[in-house]
Amino acid sequence: MIGAPGRPLALLVVRDGEPPLGADEAVAEAAGAALVVGSGPSATGLVSARRLWLAETGSFAPGALAAALSRLTTCGPIILPASPDGRDLAPRLAAVLGRPLLANAVRVHDHGAEVTRWGGQVTVDLTAAGPFVATLVPGVRGSDPVGAPPAVEHVDIKVERGDDVEVLETLEADPATADLAEAPRILGAGAGLGSRGHTALLGKVAAALGASLGATRVVTDAGWAPYERQIGTTGVAVDPELYVAFGVSGAAQHLGGLGSPRAVVSVNTDPSCPMTAMADLGIVTDAPGLLDELAERLGVERD
Amino acid sequence: MTEFDVVVVGAGPAGSAAALEVARAGLSVALVERGPFPGAKNVFGGVVYGRVLDELIPRWWERMPVQRWVTRRSTMVLTPTQALTVDLRAQDWGQAPYNGATAHRSELDSWLAEQAVAAGATLITSTVVTGRSATGVRTDRPDGDIAAKVVIACDGVNSFLAKEAGLFKAREHNTLGVKETLALPRAVIDERFGLTGDEGADFEIIGCTGDIPGGGFLYTNKESVGIGVVLELDGLTAAKVRPEELIAELKAHPAIAPLVRGGELVEYSAHLIPEGGYRTMPELVTDGMLIAGDAAAMCLAAGIWLEGVNFALGAGMYAGRAAAAAIAKGDTSKAGLAAYRTMLENSFVLGDHRRLRDMPGLVLSERVQRRYPGLVCDLAQGMFEVDNAQPKPGLRKLLREARRTHGVRVRDLLRDGITAMRSLS
Amino acid sequence: MLVIAALRWVDPRPGVDPLTGAVHTDPKASGPSAADECALAHALRIAGPGRCVAVTAGPPAAEGLLRDALAAGATDALRIDDAGANTAVALTAGIRTLGPPDVIVCGDHSLDHGTGATPALLAHAFGAAQALGLVELSMDGELTGLRRLDGGRRERLAIPLPAVCSVEPTGLRPPRASLPAVLAAQAAAIPVVTVDSGPSMVQAGEQKPYRPRPTHLGAPAGDAHHRVLALTGALTERTPPRVVRPASAAEAADELLDFLRKHGFLEP
Ligand SMILES: Cc1cc2nc3c(=O)[nH]c(=O)nc-3n(C[C@H](O)[C@H](O)[C@H](O)COP(=O)(O)OP(=O)(O)OC[C@H]3O[C@@H](n4cnc5c(N)ncnc54)[C@H](O)[C@@H]3O)c2cc1C
Ligand SMILES: Cc1cc2nc3c(=O)[nH]c(=O)nc-3n(C[C@H](O)[C@H](O)[C@H](O)COP(=O)(O)OP(=O)(O)OC[C@H]3O[C@@H](n4cnc5c(N)ncnc54)[C@H](O)[C@@H]3O)c2cc1C
Ligand SMILES: Nc1ncnc2c1ncn2[C@@H]1O[C@H](COP(=O)(O)O)[C@@H](O)[C@H]1O
Repeated sequence: MIGAPGRPLALLVVRDGEPPLGADEAVAEAAGAALVVGSGPSATGLVSARRLWLAETGSFAPGALAAALSRLTTCGPIILPASPDGRDLAPRLAAVLGRPLLANAVRVHDHGAEVTRWGGQVTVDLTAAGPFVATLVPGVRGSDPVGAPPAVEHVDIKVERGDDVEVLETLEADPATADLAEAPRILGAGAGLGSRGHTALLGKVAAALGASLGATRVVTDAGWAPYERQIGTTGVAVDPELYVAFGVSGAAQHLGGLGSPRAVVSVNTDPSCPMTAMADLGIVTDAPGLLDELAERLGVERD
Repeated sequence: MTEFDVVVVGAGPAGSAAALEVARAGLSVALVERGPFPGAKNVFGGVVYGRVLDELIPRWWERMPVQRWVTRRSTMVLTPTQALTVDLRAQDWGQAPYNGATAHRSELDSWLAEQAVAAGATLITSTVVTGRSATGVRTDRPDGDIAAKVVIACDGVNSFLAKEAGLFKAREHNTLGVKETLALPRAVIDERFGLTGDEGADFEIIGCTGDIPGGGFLYTNKESVGIGVVLELDGLTAAKVRPEELIAELKAHPAIAPLVRGGELVEYSAHLIPEGGYRTMPELVTDGMLIAGDAAAMCLAAGIWLEGVNFALGAGMYAGRAAAAAIAKGDTSKAGLAAYRTMLENSFVLGDHRRLRDMPGLVLSERVQRRYPGLVCDLAQGMFEVDNAQPKPGLRKLLREARRTHGVRVRDLLRDGITAMRSLS
Repeated sequence: MLVIAALRWVDPRPGVDPLTGAVHTDPKASGPSAADECALAHALRIAGPGRCVAVTAGPPAAEGLLRDALAAGATDALRIDDAGANTAVALTAGIRTLGPPDVIVCGDHSLDHGTGATPALLAHAFGAAQALGLVELSMDGELTGLRRLDGGRRERLAIPLPAVCSVEPTGLRPPRASLPAVLAAQAAAIPVVTVDSGPSMVQAGEQKPYRPRPTHLGAPAGDAHHRVLALTGALTERTPPRVVRPASAAEAADELLDFLRKHGFLEP
């Protein structure tokens, strides 16, 4: 049997042994119990794991995999990281098991979960009558290293091919992304910066301070910065020493990729946004205005 | 090509009133608006005077989206350390048929446009009119030309159509209105402004714009207050301050701060106002086209008044009627549409503007802006200051001292007084 | 071929009270999200001259969004009036009335719920392949997509039909509607199907502003004394969190530069 009856179980999909973003946190939220499926499942990187079940299920196919997991009926809440594959699989699994899906959770408890709404601006506590499936936003909880290696059991899960998509190729991250992932100092551009011009200026100011430019998804979607600059659960995971956020609200999906910077400054007109709430210094002011001033002081030319 | 009897450009108050009247006359009318919905981007201070609607929409007060009914109207004269307020309360303004109301433009403009649509007008949103064509107007949509017998330009202060037709006069006294909306709980607003139920307050303020000619306002909504300043453009450019800084100063004034303290900024907006009045109005009629509202500089803005919506509604209404009548007669030339001007002359629209034509100049003059606020505040302070041992000074002495301090000559005082009296009487 | 664009009616810029978490939405400003507009654009492209139906489960006010879709080129529209609380179930029932769909295109996530689960649930209901979070989608004899993975990676997919795809808001938008199309769409009758998707399987508590939860950290190494010192931060210099409201951009810049200097990120 996989998982303990009524107890939470984390479900991770790995690709070539690579755990998804937020994997360890999902395991920690499930008190150390996890089923690892995918290609090349292993315990690597799961410092919060106490009890692991590993099943080789080949390349990722959400429909077929969900059908194959239909026997996960006795365990309590099933928690997946809200990584791309986790978000793909969770609703299919919920549908197969006839369980409710509590997506985008920032906290999972025995009877439900606290989920975010409106782009991470508000949360609602959802209570389910029975067992449920939840996805946990990466980066919101951290993990509890156990210190001892987990008990590992290999299990057999047969996946019948279904109507899933076929992966033609996987494209590795751009080198420009790796650059951001390792950057020790990052200035982050958020929607509050207001324009393409100011995002470009922030890039120059960052260069003047020996820092790299990061951005939120709103900014990359608007085309003000290339996608490789996006920090977060569906962008690059970073872990800088310094993060200065310009007009970033601090949605869970953004913070999810932020690591744990030693020093955080949030420039925002809203003093109670999550980004300012977690900053060492919150500056309540107009971000483009401050940026113009900085550029002038640092002698940065605008074009 | 798309064809209508009349095309109205801009679904502000002027445009919706015009479209409503054309539709009521049984003609087809397109109401073209560039925003995603009427009022989406429109800005105003917040008080609309509905009397003009009596003629357009019976018992409008039962249906119009209103924030509060104005029952308290204060005119404040400020110096950095003084405030003199004339505070009027009129409880019957809080009952039908009402006087002024605060409202949100997005709600008000949408509601007005709905009235026109209900009467049969076709509202076309997210569409910009890019100019006139031989048969009507062009828009920025593919296949976007609209043929119409009459075009009514209600496209606001920077009217492209009026400019294109060469009717636009270079405008003196264009002002910039900037406004902050500050959220406050309803009970706090009621208590601070002494209001109950649906009652609202309207403060018009002079002497709060430093070296820049202009004025200020403070209006109450249900759960927010609108506070802002109106600034003459040339003065603003010369003074090199940002409008936000002036609003910040106004909010910090000892007479205003207790009213707005703790308000959370929820919106900042800015818009031009054509304040020049009668003397800067363009020609209102040309072949196949009428101009109404801000497009024709019909906003009455003279210090203690800031009324544009009611003038826009009135002008739009008459434009709609004149267009319908001209089409019925089969003459939409300049001569055929000339009744528009006559209707305006016989109504409050041009009546008020003609009578108050000297007020914009006076209100924005250096004396009214920079000298009189200090003069009247000092005068009032002198009256009420108790300086025992010394006998109370006479009013004449106080006036003389105040005049000296603020450099006001008797001659100018008299002249300005006469201008004001003549305008108001 | 039947192509469906599933569009959700939502306010893209709601007012959120940061203290209470109360969300204020404006029906007049509501419409499809950027992702849903992008979904419509893809659906129109995939359908080509074929049938492309814009579908929404929402109140009568949501019909404006369907009219815009008609004006932009959708062949027909359907509004689903749902008395229940399970959007995907309601959408499934509504879409079934149109015949078996070949491709359903959704936005990657809605602005309000933001789960991104609806498309996956639709795929389950229709026994279709799913391809979620696509940044590219094209129909060139065969349907292919580019999907975003974490860590900045991407995968290229061949998508068999029937399929449910969800797309991220990239630059693609529906073509600008012509004026005659806008007027025709305004006059069009929007068919409505009424369904009851049943009560929600979960009970929602009070809506609150998001506050980050404390993160768990591994216990520090060393003896008890050092662990206590490390945990209390006695050994590391740390500025207490501070929120300042500078009066001007210049003051704000002073604050920021002082902070950077104090923490060694800038030469004193
Ligand atoms: C499945 C999923 C995955 C996602 N992945 C990511 C991801 O990887 N990375 C990511 O970043 N997002 C991601 N998102 C999106 C995320 O939920 C947020 O929508 C996004 O991070 C918000 O970006 P923002 O802070 O720039 O914009 P907003 O949330 O719009 O915030 C703008 C902020 O600027 C402030 N502001 C406004 N004007 C000014 C001014 N003049 N001066 C100063 N401040 C101002 C506002 O107060 C506000 O706090 C994802 C969402 C989902 C559902
Ligand atoms: C800060 C401020 C405070 C004010 N306070 C008050 C007050 O308290 N009370 C009061 O009565 N008045 C007030 N006014 C004045 C009032 O707002 C205007 O006089 C009034 O709105 C004029 O109405 P209108 O219909 O002529 O023009 P507008 O309301 O400006 O409407 C013009 C419409 O045309 C549209 N448009 C423009 N160009 C095009 C185009 N090319 N194609 C399609 N559509 C187009 C615009 O989007 C807009 O909807 C204030 C103004 C300001 C700026
Ligand atoms: N009520 C609805 N009507 C139509 N489509 C919807 C609805 N709700 C969600 N969708 C679609 O599903 C996508 C993801 O929504 P969600 O699962 O709520 O994050 C949206 O972008 C829409 O394309």
